[in-house]
Amino acid sequence: MLGFLGRRLGQGLVVLLLISLVTFFLINLAPGGPSAASKFESTAEERAAITKQLGLDQPVTVRYGLWAAQVVQGRFGNSLNGGQPIGPMVVQRLATTAQLGLAALLLSILIGIPLGILTAMRKNSVLDHLVNALSTLGMSIPDFWTGIVLILLFSVTWHVLPASGMADFSSGFSLVEWLRHLALPASVLAFVMLPNLLRFTRSSLLEVMNADYLRTARAKGVTEFWVIFKHALRNAFVPIVAMIGLLLPALLSGSVIVESVFGLPGMGRLAVDAALGRDYNTIMAVTLVAGAIVIFTNLLVDLAYSVIDPRIRRD
Amino acid sequence: MSWLLTATLAFGALSAVPLVSVLAQSATTDGTVTFVTTADPTFNPWSPTAFVESNLINELVFPGLTRWDKNLKPAPDLATSWKVSSDGLKWTFQLRKGVKWSDGQDFNADDVAFTFNDIVLKKELAANGGSTWRNAVTKVNVVNPYTVDFILSRPWASLPTYLGYYAGILPQHKFQGVTDPWKFTDFNKQNPVGTGPFKVSQVVSGASVKLVRNDTYWGGKPKLQSVTFKIIPDSNAQLAQLLSGDLDLISVGNPETVDRIKSNPNLTVDLSTSNIYYFVALNQDDPRLTDVRVRQALLYAIDRPAMIKSVLKGYGQVATGPIAPIQKEYYNASVQQYPYDPAKAKALLAQAGWKPGPDGVLQKDGKPFVISMPTASYQQLVPITLLVQQYWKNIGVVADVKTTDWNSYIQQVIVKREYQASAAWWSTPADPDVLPYYDSSAANVGNNIPNYKNPKLDALLEQGRKTSAVLPRRIAYNNAQALMAKELPYLYLWYPQSITAYNKRLQGMRGITQAADFQYANEWYVSK
Repeated sequence: MLGFLGRRLGQGLVVLLLISLVTFFLINLAPGGPSAASKFESTAEERAAITKQLGLDQPVTVRYGLWAAQVVQGRFGNSLNGGQPIGPMVVQRLATTAQLGLAALLLSILIGIPLGILTAMRKNSVLDHLVNALSTLGMSIPDFWTGIVLILLFSVTWHVLPASGMADFSSGFSLVEWLRHLALPASVLAFVMLPNLLRFTRSSLLEVMNADYLRTARAKGVTEFWVIFKHALRNAFVPIVAMIGLLLPALLSGSVIVESVFGLPGMGRLAVDAALGRDYNTIMAVTLVAGAIVIFTNLLVDLAYSVIDPRIRRD
Repeated sequence: MSWLLTATLAFGALSAVPLVSVLAQSATTDGTVTFVTTADPTFNPWSPTAFVESNLINELVFPGLTRWDKNLKPAPDLATSWKVSSDGLKWTFQLRKGVKWSDGQDFNADDVAFTFNDIVLKKELAANGGSTWRNAVTKVNVVNPYTVDFILSRPWASLPTYLGYYAGILPQHKFQGVTDPWKFTDFNKQNPVGTGPFKVSQVVSGASVKLVRNDTYWGGKPKLQSVTFKIIPDSNAQLAQLLSGDLDLISVGNPETVDRIKSNPNLTVDLSTSNIYYFVALNQDDPRLTDVRVRQALLYAIDRPAMIKSVLKGYGQVATGPIAPIQKEYYNASVQQYPYDPAKAKALLAQAGWKPGPDGVLQKDGKPFVISMPTASYQQLVPITLLVQQYWKNIGVVADVKTTDWNSYIQQVIVKREYQASAAWWSTPADPDVLPYYDSSAANVGNNIPNYKNPKLDALLEQGRKTSAVLPRRIAYNNAQALMAKELPYLYLWYPQSITAYNKRLQGMRGITQAADFQYANEWYVSK
């Protein structure tokens, strides 16, 4: 197991190195420099001065080397659009995105998997068709639209939930306030994941339910409830867990829009702002952290396989 | 100075919340209001990374030597009076006594000298708008603790006006030992020290900035306890939050939403004019566009009233030049006009040698009249550009429109000048001095985007700078406007109205312009 872990971590580091190389050189190929150097009213002389201040007058290979040396020392450098250290900023933003992502994931799992099981058990029923239609709709509607509609309903019309921001805990933590602020954005983000999870659970379960060993179990007189919950689900969960792992990047990218609409200070917003402002250092930090998260969660998923299905561990 | 508009749109219409009638409402001294900005601000008005998201917040924290009165004239702020020498090369400012920085230190002349000598005038720092200052000011001398002299290299009558336009004074004592003021992040991002009516109390990156009352403000205790700026980049989300009561004031970028706002009984919509004009710049590096008949034809071909109706829903008026009607003393409406007249446009182009080809596209020397017209996905630039493209198509001119993001657009149009036509806008202080946008020396390297060069115009604009007296300035700028209307260094489109939507509980704004209203924030209050 340790060998497996070591191998995977090594592979992950190589992937991160490649990501950093590709991203660094790609963003430098994009037209337009950092906003600071490209402010509309700046004169040519000012642009040159700012470019020099930011070290952007050096060759891109030199800049990559300097940047990589910083990262090896555990620093992401300073933002090109304001000068503040990026590390603490990323940590702070990551905390918001993590709350949002976990809430959305939890919602998707709690609703998507049971509904997937239910529709698999009642294949071709009215409920199955209805859920199928709704999940298609859910996948088709853009999340920014859903967000605005939910704000209009719950905040503007009914005044029951806040329209934006995270809960303010300066005068003490309140679970209710925390949930109230997360409810709308987490629901919107869950729309990204829930239909996929639901459908995958359904199809995965249906596939397993036709397996020989279940037919045998039924022939032995095991009730349908036990057939599904004891035998079928165990095998069906392996691809479902994989699916959850695959959906995590979608959660990260989905947070980009959701955080903008709901004014949440998360990684998604940070990524958008950095990209629009050509804040190279921040773009690199966000990319690396996001990459590391995806690599790490994939590793966790692989480990989860072995827990769910011991045969994989033996392999 | 933050000329281009980046600034103005996001907050553009914050301008001028009027003195609405208050129906038996009483003020509360513990009121709080919530505004909006689009990104994390930089608390240093001179930082090259302080954009539109920072401007108004910095106005509340860092006052300048002057501010603007209701007639948009410079009025005392940190300076109480000023005078200019007979040759126009030295301005002496008397500073206000008894002003304290929000950390309790005394404000004095050293702070003013530091701000300009060590920040603004240092070429290598490339301070926000620094080139405009360096263009005229050589040094600021401390005469005594409450008197400073601005030493100029050339007369600059607009100096007191510019000192009230995002030109906040910084505390010298906080910058002791700081080698790079732009990397002084504790100050620039978290804990600024100013002399304004409000001071920063809490910054949550990406979420909000809370300002609280500065009890040591020289003008008396501000009537609001706090002003919070939420950071919300999305304009639809801003509108939704205004409707839900989470925000007290937003600028309305999309005029189509005005009716929706008006239907909410708690909200009101205010319209005001600002010193902004939209234009189409025609690159004078292209010999086809140096022919004034061509420029005039291209303006005759654009139905500006129709565009104002469709793009702005009527909230604007046709522009005649760079000096907007808001400057009553200097605006000259008696200049050459260009009513929509495609026939005249075609005739002028024919005079210039452009004849229709078999496909209807004008040709000269066998080459079709095709103009590259880059634009950016920013505010209303895309619909404006597409409409202009359509109007020009009607007279046989093809505009090759390519849309990019704002940053790439700046790189292409402003930095490299790789364009032949492009729509944009300028926002300036309400002062007729438009030299940085038209002077021959600013072509290619400065804000003279179309690279227009005309010695006659240079002379008129220089003449306008030489005296502070209204009459000679008016003559110079009236002549300059007449010349510009005839020559069309830019194709002037319109002066937009700023649309502000705000909660009726917010009171006490003077109703001047966006920038000026924020200079009197100590007078704001909320009704009970």
